[in-house]
Amino acid sequence: MSELPPKTSLRRWFVTTNHKDVGILYTITALFFLIMGGMLALLIRFQLWEPGAQFLSEIAYNEAVTTHGLVMVFWFLSPFGFGFANYFVPLQIGADDLAFPRLNALSYWMYALSGILLGISYFQGGTLSTGWTMYAPLNVPMYTPSLGSTGAILALAMFVIGITASTINFLTTIHHSRAEGMGLMDMPLFTWSILATVYMMLFAFAALLAVALILLSDRILGSIYFSATEGGALLWGHLFWFFGHPEVYIVFFPALGVMLELFQSFSGNRLVGRKWVIIAICLISIQSFLVWTHHMFLTTINLEVKTLMMATSIGISLPFDLVVFSLIYTLIKGRIKFTTPFLFAFGALLLFIVGGITGVFLGAIVLDYEFRGTYWVVAHFHYVMFGGATALFGGIYYWFPKMSGKMYDEFLGKVHFVIFFIGFNAVYFSMFLAWETPRRVFEYDPAFQPMHQFGTIGAVVLGLSFFIMFYNFAKSYVSGPDAPDNPWEYTRTAEWAVSSPPPLENWGGRPSYASGKLEFVSEALTPSDDHDGPAAATDGGHGEGHGDDHIESYPYWDKHASHASIWPFALSLATGIFFFGLSGVSSSIDITTADTLFGTGITVSNPVYPVFTALGLLGIIWTAVKWGLEDFYAPPMEIAERWPFEGVEKVKLGMWFFLASDVIVFGAFISAAVFIRVAAGWYTWEPLTDSLPGLINTFVLLTSSFTVILALVYARRKSRKGLIAYLSATILLGLTFLSIKMWEWHHEIYDVGVTLTQNSHGDPVQATIYYVTTGLHGLHVVIGLLIAGFLLVRAWNGAYQEDPRPVEYFGLYWHFVDIVWVILFPLFYLF
Amino acid sequence: MIASVLLQGTDGLRAQAEIFNEIFSVFLGLGTLIGVIVVSYMLWNAYKYRDDGSEPKESFDPPVLGELPTGKGGPKAKKLFLSFGLSAIVVISLVVYAYGLLLVVEQGPDAPGVESADMEVDVVGYQFGWEFQYPNGVTTQNTLYVPEDSAIELRVTSRDVWHTFGVTDLRIKSDAIPGDYSETWFTTDGEDLASGEERTHQIECFELCGSGHSYMTGEIVVMDDQDFNTWYDEQAAALENESDGSGAATNGTDSGNGMENATNAMTAQGVEA
Repeated sequence: MSELPPKTSLRRWFVTTNHKDVGILYTITALFFLIMGGMLALLIRFQLWEPGAQFLSEIAYNEAVTTHGLVMVFWFLSPFGFGFANYFVPLQIGADDLAFPRLNALSYWMYALSGILLGISYFQGGTLSTGWTMYAPLNVPMYTPSLGSTGAILALAMFVIGITASTINFLTTIHHSRAEGMGLMDMPLFTWSILATVYMMLFAFAALLAVALILLSDRILGSIYFSATEGGALLWGHLFWFFGHPEVYIVFFPALGVMLELFQSFSGNRLVGRKWVIIAICLISIQSFLVWTHHMFLTTINLEVKTLMMATSIGISLPFDLVVFSLIYTLIKGRIKFTTPFLFAFGALLLFIVGGITGVFLGAIVLDYEFRGTYWVVAHFHYVMFGGATALFGGIYYWFPKMSGKMYDEFLGKVHFVIFFIGFNAVYFSMFLAWETPRRVFEYDPAFQPMHQFGTIGAVVLGLSFFIMFYNFAKSYVSGPDAPDNPWEYTRTAEWAVSSPPPLENWGGRPSYASGKLEFVSEALTPSDDHDGPAAATDGGHGEGHGDDHIESYPYWDKHASHASIWPFALSLATGIFFFGLSGVSSSIDITTADTLFGTGITVSNPVYPVFTALGLLGIIWTAVKWGLEDFYAPPMEIAERWPFEGVEKVKLGMWFFLASDVIVFGAFISAAVFIRVAAGWYTWEPLTDSLPGLINTFVLLTSSFTVILALVYARRKSRKGLIAYLSATILLGLTFLSIKMWEWHHEIYDVGVTLTQNSHGDPVQATIYYVTTGLHGLHVVIGLLIAGFLLVRAWNGAYQEDPRPVEYFGLYWHFVDIVWVILFPLFYLF
Repeated sequence: MIASVLLQGTDGLRAQAEIFNEIFSVFLGLGTLIGVIVVSYMLWNAYKYRDDGSEPKESFDPPVLGELPTGKGGPKAKKLFLSFGLSAIVVISLVVYAYGLLLVVEQGPDAPGVESADMEVDVVGYQFGWEFQYPNGVTTQNTLYVPEDSAIELRVTSRDVWHTFGVTDLRIKSDAIPGDYSETWFTTDGEDLASGEERTHQIECFELCGSGHSYMTGEIVVMDDQDFNTWYDEQAAALENESDGSGAATNGTDSGNGMENATNAMTAQGVEA
């Protein structure tokens, strides 16, 4: 643990784990990516000035289209919303910080550095040029061979890792750290929309992670999932859109939350039908996972499924209707103040209505058949997603006084809105008028040229309007008037009850809503008998993760929460280096196969990438160990509302959320295996391997599940010897599993002739699926063994006697890995 | 212009363009109407209830900082459910209506009671062009020749990456996915063509497929019946000559896949003139 340096120190911004600092970092970084994505958008618009490749070459145009989409969807929209979520969700629910502050900083650095990887990919022989949807098989090296294509996908994978960490963090925080008296239904609607967003993210981004891992396996290891004609291309479509449709709501919901807040704050009315709006938001979150094939209506999906998805797709407009009407009715009989934030929120609703209505068109299959791949789609999703982001700009004006402590210039803000709104409609409404133009082409029908030129002019206007905002904020930050605590008259939420900007630990006393309104309770915390208190009855938690086993030496009432750690940045940097290395490793190493393992020749043609890979991997292990050993104290709230997870300790709850997302990752891999096998003809495949080694391995892993339980039992009995013995037994069993696995692979490769891309029994893709799926499981076993080794060394030194919980958390992970094997075994060895 | 050419339909078979235009106008009319009503209502209320600096009414009860949110019931909530109910009726009717016409498009010439397809052509997308494989084994590149007054079924696939075959003025589109065949159809009814006359429709690719995506266009050429039959027979004869002769697999219009395609072609059903 180190002290947090002052805000003027550059060092602070690398070590801070405070949610407000991280929120500011997210916001500024997201605005940087807005500029980057905006520049790419202008390149596209300039190309469209006249039909034909006037300005960019064919491939450069495709790269601009691709990275514009990726940057705006991933590196701008979500992180911009999550800048506010970081800053204001803890404030709105009365928490001191997020549940896992270091994990939060890690999410940010993974995000920021993944963006740099994406930038680097441009200089690795050209970046990805497949469109942001990355359809297979255009996304495999045969069609997009550049290292930068791999680099861009690695950047996306790294971004998703950060997102997953962030998701787990917000879910745990919102379920674990609400102030006394604030039930789930009492949460402000911005926090509600973030809760719905992170639930969708937990499952949707796990699917994206899985599909990115499969694609990376195709690109780096040379497996053949997406080039397989046995459903490879359709598999991409299904997995991508299973993520892709919820993603639309994932980027829209934070903006919706801002709209819901601002309509109340600037009309002076409470939300109409508040309960029903929350129900609608929950319904949309669930339904978003049941509409994905409307992106694939023109494929060979059968009519029954298409019809069902048409009904769910058009039907999802209903809960949205309710939310829109609720927003409009909230204005009635209010005293509406047309400040800059409200103008943006109001404008966002207008744009969203246009986007929503044109979206219903796309839900009707017959219309979608024609709109597919045209500018109708482009116009529609810009009205929805960028229309939503319009509310986020309202959010930045709304919260700028709180975040910076300065008021912005109202006149310049209004000028920004007017120019923005005109520019926006000029660009995107002209797309509706030119809708017969195919997407992502520059050679279009000259009849549409006036429309496209009008759109280009609109795009320049739209882009320039942001410089008014940047100037406004820069000027106000330097010389604007100080902001009062609550500059808006009718606000309700707790962030306006503290100073602008709020103090490091947010509150003067403990915030409580027990009396029905916000009060700050200034009670002296009593020592550990607080554990028996009603609100935290089953929660004896003090520390964060397995790093904290010194609780006896640090009674919490005289230990301060930590706010600084360099390891989130260091671990992200190491990951970035590792991923950079991976992008070129397959083109730098030539492996000549032979009949035996020892005959295999490895020639390194270019050592740069392999060296980066190795350094990055060592760095990851080293920083992870340092992270685990760091004495970092993030106290759980002693008194908090936790429904429906009252009895679950903080880290355990986080672990459950992580495992839920990992279930989806494996679920996607298993679905991929089943999907391709069905496409190839289920009964045409026999198991590749003997069932005996798999059967033995099943017993080995199940036994290791027992030993890890016994390790926990002995840790609870404070038996160091028992703990060491059973942890060692677990590790030995894990190593046995891996040894049998390696023997099996060796046998398959060198005796039978089944390799990643060759299968003497039948379809080569069967071999790919076998190696990659069991390989992912093997990787989970290896990571489990590394953690177990860390625990063993610490146990040897006497740790976990007082606080055995890290052993329990590891046990949860290990059981999960075992359960996955119980599913993989019949899939690959029996049927 | 498009409509006048395509709206008549063949023997009870409605062209996709006709169905599209019908649904599109219904959705556009209804959508515009609802959009205009909702947006005007919103703007009017925003104007009416603006803060003009006057004294607030007694009934005005703004929320206070730090209160637990309660939401608002009363007449506004009733209005909310009424509007929701109305939109539900509109949406459900649209789903049912759109489903009815979807069935027509899906069945196309296979539907009972309409004349079955006159010709089936395989369409193979590739980087960057389209290959058309006719029932008699003839193949052409980038131009699909069809006779007038017929219903044509297309089976679309790809030999490399994902493409999407689409003809905007016929309102037809189909994904071209490697390893998979998706189907669409169109009719060529319209004003009678005299001998030597042709009508063309532009083919475009609607899925990003690589550097040549923007240029991946082709044409559908509708010919007079007699002209088409003459052309079709000539091509078939040329193909036969070549396979009898040197065995070199090229013919007048193809680039080298003639032999293979001839064997792979679907069972020829001839062209009903």
